[in-house]
Amino acid sequence: MSGDVSTAVRPTDAADGEDGRLSFDAVIIGAGHNGLTLGAYLARSGLSVGVFERRGEEGGGLCTEELTLPGFLHNVHANYHTFVGLAPAFRHLELTEEGLEYVRPEVQMASVFDDGQALCVHTDAERTHASIARISERDADTFRRLQAEARRYVDLMLETFMYGPPVGINDLTKALVTFGLDKRSEFLEAKLRGSTIAQFLDRHFESDAVKAHLAFHAAICGYATDAKGLAIGFPLLVGKIDNWQLCLGGSHRLAHTLWRDLVRHGGLVHVQCDVARILVADGRAVGIELTDGREVQARQLVASSIDVEQTVGRLLAEDPSTAALRAKRSELRHPAWSLFSVHLALSEAPHYAAAAFDPDVDRAWVMNLGYSRVGDLIADWKAAREGRLPDPHPNAAVNSLFDTRDAPPGKFTGLLRQIVPAKPQNGSIESWDEVKDEYATRCIETWQRFAPNIQDAVIASAIDTPADIERKLTNMRDGDWMVGEIALDNLLDKRPLPELANYRTPVERLYMCGSTQHPHGFITFAPGYNALQVIAQDLDLEPWWRWV
Amino acid sequence: MSGPPSTYDALVVGGGHNGLCLAAYLARAGWSVGLLERRHEEGGGLNTEEPSIPGFYHNLHAQFMEFLDYMPFYQDFDLERMGSRSVYPEAQCGITFADGRAPLIIHRPDLLDRTHKSIARYSKADADTFCELKRKTMEIDQFLAASLYNPPPVAEQGKLPNPLANPMIEPMFAHLGLDPTYTLKSPKVIIDELFETPELRMLLYRECVEWGTPVEMEMGGTAFVMSVLWLSAIWKLMIGGTHTLAHAMTQACLREGVTFLESAEVTKIVLSDSRAVGAETADGRTFQARHVVASSVDVRQTLLDLVGAENLSELWRKRTERFRYGPSHVLATTTWCLTEAPHYRSAEVDPEIDRCFYTVVGFEDPDQMMDYIRAAYGDHVPERPGAGMWVNSLFDPSQAPAGMHVATGWFFFPTADRLDERGWEEVRRTYNDRFLELWTQSAPNINSSTVLANRLYTPDQMDSKNRMRFGDFSNGAFAVDQLNSSRPFPEAAQYRTEIEGLYLCGASSHPGGGIHAGPGYNAYKAIAADHGLAELWEANGRIY
Repeated sequence: MSGDVSTAVRPTDAADGEDGRLSFDAVIIGAGHNGLTLGAYLARSGLSVGVFERRGEEGGGLCTEELTLPGFLHNVHANYHTFVGLAPAFRHLELTEEGLEYVRPEVQMASVFDDGQALCVHTDAERTHASIARISERDADTFRRLQAEARRYVDLMLETFMYGPPVGINDLTKALVTFGLDKRSEFLEAKLRGSTIAQFLDRHFESDAVKAHLAFHAAICGYATDAKGLAIGFPLLVGKIDNWQLCLGGSHRLAHTLWRDLVRHGGLVHVQCDVARILVADGRAVGIELTDGREVQARQLVASSIDVEQTVGRLLAEDPSTAALRAKRSELRHPAWSLFSVHLALSEAPHYAAAAFDPDVDRAWVMNLGYSRVGDLIADWKAAREGRLPDPHPNAAVNSLFDTRDAPPGKFTGLLRQIVPAKPQNGSIESWDEVKDEYATRCIETWQRFAPNIQDAVIASAIDTPADIERKLTNMRDGDWMVGEIALDNLLDKRPLPELANYRTPVERLYMCGSTQHPHGFITFAPGYNALQVIAQDLDLEPWWRWV
Repeated sequence: MSGPPSTYDALVVGGGHNGLCLAAYLARAGWSVGLLERRHEEGGGLNTEEPSIPGFYHNLHAQFMEFLDYMPFYQDFDLERMGSRSVYPEAQCGITFADGRAPLIIHRPDLLDRTHKSIARYSKADADTFCELKRKTMEIDQFLAASLYNPPPVAEQGKLPNPLANPMIEPMFAHLGLDPTYTLKSPKVIIDELFETPELRMLLYRECVEWGTPVEMEMGGTAFVMSVLWLSAIWKLMIGGTHTLAHAMTQACLREGVTFLESAEVTKIVLSDSRAVGAETADGRTFQARHVVASSVDVRQTLLDLVGAENLSELWRKRTERFRYGPSHVLATTTWCLTEAPHYRSAEVDPEIDRCFYTVVGFEDPDQMMDYIRAAYGDHVPERPGAGMWVNSLFDPSQAPAGMHVATGWFFFPTADRLDERGWEEVRRTYNDRFLELWTQSAPNINSSTVLANRLYTPDQMDSKNRMRFGDFSNGAFAVDQLNSSRPFPEAAQYRTEIEGLYLCGASSHPGGGIHAGPGYNAYKAIAADHGLAELWEANGRIY
């Protein structure tokens, strides 16, 4: 397996402006994975690229820190990567060659139920079938058909609808009808645009446990169980239900990989540089001003990967062409719910009581602790929307089972994550500071109920509340880690507002390229990639990345 | 074919600032370079995190930068264009008192009149002496820098290195007008002989320790000049935290074509026919080096753990085993999230103390200071928890949320092995609170209502995070027998080892720890000489 290094080629230099000012062809605001992705493609297209990041680290939600104790790596935000190998960026940016490594755990996901039963989703579909069949043979068969069907169109859906600028839901429906989908497909139907995931599950499955597990899986993807219209996205989620992958060395390594690709091709990331203003001249974006007063020239374009509120409200506060958008800021939708995480340093891995039923649960990655029926999930969503703390049913993951590098030898890094209200009391996100300790204890107690060895195994813990999410990543206001609600009328060409949905803005050569855009947050690379398509059109770039 | 290449001209072990420096020069000289880093972040001690509340940034290791103006890596690779930025605070280092006595503040060398005014509040003679010495020292700073950015003098064949044989020493003392016998004395004796003011003595003892020089180390005259006269009060603050410097260094390396291999803990340096030819990592990967393996981890880990004692000659094995860590340069970092910046009682006399970059808090007289230093260099956690504190947000708002402040400080502690795990836990649980009592006495506005959170990061944790053994951030004690031509030991002082192709490029080599990247730079000189690489150090008209 020996390789050789070709002679290192010094990349094209990003020449500074004449007056010593920083100057780039493309200036990107925010070094999350979308900003870095767009930057890396543009750098590979020959543009000089400068990415400006408010935080000290690139990556945004790709954030890995030693929150508890040195040597224990915790993925503070993104933990589950489901687009590995599917997103075009993996091929185009040669991420594996740059050193990125993933592991796809054989037992992808499991549910342990109060009655001691368990259910596992394996990478091996036959083993998944066998696991579900122990609860319901009929559901096992249904799931096998659903998964097989979803696999047939997952590539089509991804490449047509995710990795390209959005089409409207009506056009999408029309295309599906013209395609004859209702005849060709047992599960994907145009009328799903009027259904909830819960309704979809009731229509096709009989067992409460199976339905709960499938609803749990969608919930971790940010898809609420009871939101009307999301059923249409559900088969797509199932198409990659067995592609949940763990970034070895921590999720932040993906950020490093993208960063390196960008820099190797002549780009630069400037960290700890907060942007104060987007500079506009004659209706066209010409640069940015940093909060320390420095100006950065953008010779060709500016792209913002941060939220709309900051982009139009703060960075373009005085720009007349975006006044109408500013007036619509209140229409931007953020969910009432967010995520509460307890990060743990552990002396041993959990040993589940349900391992007596199915030993595979002890080597599963994503664990559902106790959602036994769809109603349990709906109750949590409801509580979250109403500002009440749900009885914890956290999901749990012990990454060290698959990546020994994320904890000291013989030790383990654990994560508990619960759907919660963003603002638990009196509508204040800060009130999390008062209730977090007790709630964390309750989350750990839930884990203990299913894995009786876990409480004694806790060496240290660190809590990350919706308030902390907002403090760390101001882009995720109200702890909204999707940067815009996942709801059918807030997706596709409605996202984040119809006026901004095609990545362009009223300011010429200013683009939106972050999770505010179609398709949504999560480590998809799609908003950055899709913004690239529009930019390429406007700048007449040679689309070297197209493979058809 | 997937994954990065496995063969390089050179492999560099460890992605701290020295590893990054050497990698950048080797790549610029045309070699392919693979840089292996155990952690998920590059930078080693250039480490900035948000350990308590998101948005409050703390430097957990390196705090201040005194070498930016001298560091060849910084200039040759244009690290400012790579994103590094700094601030040069006017009031540099000071000491404050609970009883509201006048603070003592040393300002930047270009503001010596202010320093004079501050010291003269206590003693005009001391003010004259100090300012004159500082002025004369800054006249020869390039020569002092040259002593860092060159390999140490080679001892005469068959003779032990003589720490006083350095031809630079005598002219240096003559230039400064200092008695040449000072070369033999300890910094403490010199400070006590030169200055009469107890308050100034205290501050200078601390300055000495701050740079890692044991204040009672005999034959410490040169160290006194370096750490007290030269390297004090030329401290810069990295905007965004010291880790941004690591980012700039990394971007420089990437532009030169260095391949980063991270989460790659080297467990073995592979030998073939007594020659270093590669490295193995904990996850089972193997990388090959055509010419050179250079290790920036300390000499004991490099030779005993990675090469293996069985592959060393008896002399090298003994020398390596006898290399000592600590007690100098072992510290704990105390981190505080504050709603307001400290306002000191001593500011009534001189308000500049509230805008001082580095402020010593918690010591009222020289005995307390010396008790502290002796305890830390001995075997116990000092009873009275004084600290040196940086409030970086005064100069760089990006390090704290709007309107808030972030304070970071250093305690000097004994080596990590002096307490067990529970002992350090207890220190982490209680020591900050004890410090806060003293801090409140000096700055009454810093109390439980203005402190949002605090955390203490102890030497045992520095060991587990960065493999700085026993918390020794210089990778080996500063002692006369472990400095200059004797660092890490005489036979290894020229960055070469007895294993062909294996070089040392970390802080256990001359000139030691500190963000100067001297070991990495000097190792490049040695490798370039051995392999006919370009003499890149001749760029930019430097004398080193």
